[in-house]
Amino acid sequence: MKDDAYPDKESSFYYALSHDIRRKIIKIIGDTQITSFTNLKKKLKVSTGTIYHHLDALSQLIEQKGDKKYYLTDLGNHAYKSLKENVAIIESPDISKREFKSPLLKVLMILTPKKFISFKKEDKTYNIIISLSILAIGAILCGISAFYSFLLFFIETSDNIYNMEVTTHFAFSILFLINFQIYFLLVEGICRLFYKKKERTLEFFFSFPVVLFPMVLYLLIHFILLSTELLMSFIFMRFLDIILLILFQIWSLWILTYSISYNKGLKIEKGLVISLILHYGSFTIILLLFI
Amino acid sequence: MKFKNRFDLRVLGIIGSILLIITEFLPWFSDRSCLDIYLLYTVVAVEDSFLYLFPLISGIIGLIGSILILYSEEFRINSVIISFLGLGFLTFFLFKIVSSDLFLISNISVGFYLCLVGFLIVVINVILILRMKDLIFSEGN
Repeated sequence: MKDDAYPDKESSFYYALSHDIRRKIIKIIGDTQITSFTNLKKKLKVSTGTIYHHLDALSQLIEQKGDKKYYLTDLGNHAYKSLKENVAIIESPDISKREFKSPLLKVLMILTPKKFISFKKEDKTYNIIISLSILAIGAILCGISAFYSFLLFFIETSDNIYNMEVTTHFAFSILFLINFQIYFLLVEGICRLFYKKKERTLEFFFSFPVVLFPMVLYLLIHFILLSTELLMSFIFMRFLDIILLILFQIWSLWILTYSISYNKGLKIEKGLVISLILHYGSFTIILLLFI
Repeated sequence: MKFKNRFDLRVLGIIGSILLIITEFLPWFSDRSCLDIYLLYTVVAVEDSFLYLFPLISGIIGLIGSILILYSEEFRINSVIISFLGLGFLTFFLFKIVSSDLFLISNISVGFYLCLVGFLIVVINVILILRMKDLIFSEGN
């Protein structure tokens, strides 16, 4: 591009950044402060003529000095910083900063542990401790109450839990932990396979137990109701127990949706699709196994 | 969301929900409907008799969610969450009865199968709502 085609400097600046290869050139030089033509050709994997064409278009942002290496000009440095900041905003709509008008979504956002899901480096230790606690409490409660766990389905055993051996209770606890692993792998697998999202896997993994937090809370409430014999004494309590299970499943699904949206940079609709397919897909499998 | 400008696919949610409501009154086990079983179990004080009202409850909640999305596309996330709630009741009920003795010893009738069809229609409707491309997730939601 010749400067006289875009006499306005602002237009020429944005034209320079309008092409993917030119943006990559800015990033390559910006990351290392200096680069050679050979390095550009190696990283961009395009022809020599193409690179020269784009370098020509970037004449205001890049300069070649006496050592034949390429550097960013002041304007080029400004472009590099802008690209770094804007990519994060454009590609990952920050759901944590959204304002919702709907009362239903406002309530769900209040119930979402956003700070925990964002898994910032300064809170890493604290978040890992919380995650491990959720898993530990969930495993213990699952074991004591003898619940089979499959994703967000927690199914009470029909056997008498008071006559069960300790090893059986222990097996239910292990099943809960295995379920957590399977759930994470399934979600991560779907994000990678269908949406090609591979970022923040570790942060996603460490914050994933929070998805099961509502179900662990349900297990706790269920255990309290069971041990105080309220569950067996009143039909209303039994009804309440079922309502709580369903509401807490919805809560878990929402947290999963939010976590996918935040960590994988997907729109909330796609997060809901993943949550829905996993939840009702697994239900269909359970149903077919029984039928 | 139209199919050749003739059929609005959001109506699927209404169809699925109404189907679930209707199945409450259709025969499920040995020519007895869920409503019959609920009334019978309540009279003889069988535990968890209220479970047999869940297809009806699920259908009503699903209907509310479907009407919401027909009212305005801005409410699609709300509609999906409400549909999840309705489907939650149904999945709990279906799982409970499938694992119960009643399922093993009775003749399964049309009500059960239509309920599954209604369930699938509602799930498909939710997926279609989420895939609506002409609406960016707006702050109105």
